[in-house]
Amino acid sequence: MKSVKSIQKITKAMKMVAASKLRGVQVKAENSRGFWQPFVALLGDHPDIESKKNVILTISSDRGLCGGINSTSVKFSKAMFTLSASEEPAKYVILGEKGKVQLQRDSKKNIQMVVTDIQKMPINFTQISMIADEILKNVEFDTIKIIYNKFGSVVSFLPSVATIPSPEVIARESEAGGKLEQLESYEIEGGDSKAEVLQNLSEFQFAAMLFNASLENACSEQGARMSAMDSSTRNASEMLEKLTLKYNRSRQASITTELIEIISGAAALEAAS
Amino acid sequence: MVLSLRVMAPNRIVWNSEVGEITLSTNSGQIGILPNHAPLLTALDMGVSKIRSGGQWSAMASMGGFAMIDNNRVTILVNEAEVSDEIDPIEAQKDYEVAQMELAKAEGRKRKIEANLAFKRAKARLEASTIS
Repeated sequence: MKSVKSIQKITKAMKMVAASKLRGVQVKAENSRGFWQPFVALLGDHPDIESKKNVILTISSDRGLCGGINSTSVKFSKAMFTLSASEEPAKYVILGEKGKVQLQRDSKKNIQMVVTDIQKMPINFTQISMIADEILKNVEFDTIKIIYNKFGSVVSFLPSVATIPSPEVIARESEAGGKLEQLESYEIEGGDSKAEVLQNLSEFQFAAMLFNASLENACSEQGARMSAMDSSTRNASEMLEKLTLKYNRSRQASITTELIEIISGAAALEAAS
Repeated sequence: MVLSLRVMAPNRIVWNSEVGEITLSTNSGQIGILPNHAPLLTALDMGVSKIRSGGQWSAMASMGGFAMIDNNRVTILVNEAEVSDEIDPIEAQKDYEVAQMELAKAEGRKRKIEANLAFKRAKARLEASTIS
């Protein structure tokens, strides 16, 4: 019973910690939503864009005890993997320890890059830009699909996918008949060539969306942990009640047994004398 | 006719209102934006953008990003930005001098690049704080 009580205390504390962390991250996530919307307004979101080299970027948490969000992300990633099969199999880039553990079990050869321990410090844009840079340097892609849990509310987390095309794909689709045709009507300045500006734009877009996706996933993680810890605490209370009743009953039963023994012993002695 | 301007950094909205005219600093020079500008997509370098709103000019130091202009709507996405009245001119002057010294004595390619970036940033902030 003591152990159940202490578990109950721990889960309650974990819930409160998650709640306070959630408040902090939620504000950042909401502020970061405005940042990627202009990219989508300009370039659209085309999950069905034609692409041979597909990279699936799965965002997961480093720590556990957060309900089913990591399993959901992994399930969706595997589904995307199968869907995006083309001449070359897709590749995984994984953020977060839990995703790595789950995907390593059966897709080890398709994992190209793993980044863990992101949440050692609060997520900020500089850190995410560096991660984005590393990924862009080491991974060849036509599109990157970021899989993450979008934070709906404390009880609702929606698995979502954000599609980022590479600069070459953007250039290809911005020609007549492509999905990004409206890009052609823009005068493009600010670099030595249109291709250079588009490349910078695509990289910036990737960093912006990765930033938002990481924040949303972090929110979902804290929210899921809150509800998981909350149900643990409630379970622990129920268990504690049942155990207490059982304990009392067995205590009374043993007292009764002792009394019976004493009384029958005394009665036997009396009868003998 | 006015321009509707939104300036966004990853963690906050820096500007969100209607303005009359904007001057942007790109790495191919300064661009002036007036209402009814043609659709434009441009990269911004680390520098100062000037915004005229209601007859008054304000300055904003921005650390690289993109500007998209379409249909009198201007959206500027930056890594970091500060409006001139958020910058303390004395502090900005001190930062600038420190950055200048660091740049002069920086050695090694990596340090030089870092010092250069810090210098550009300090310069932009100083310019912005002294303009309005």
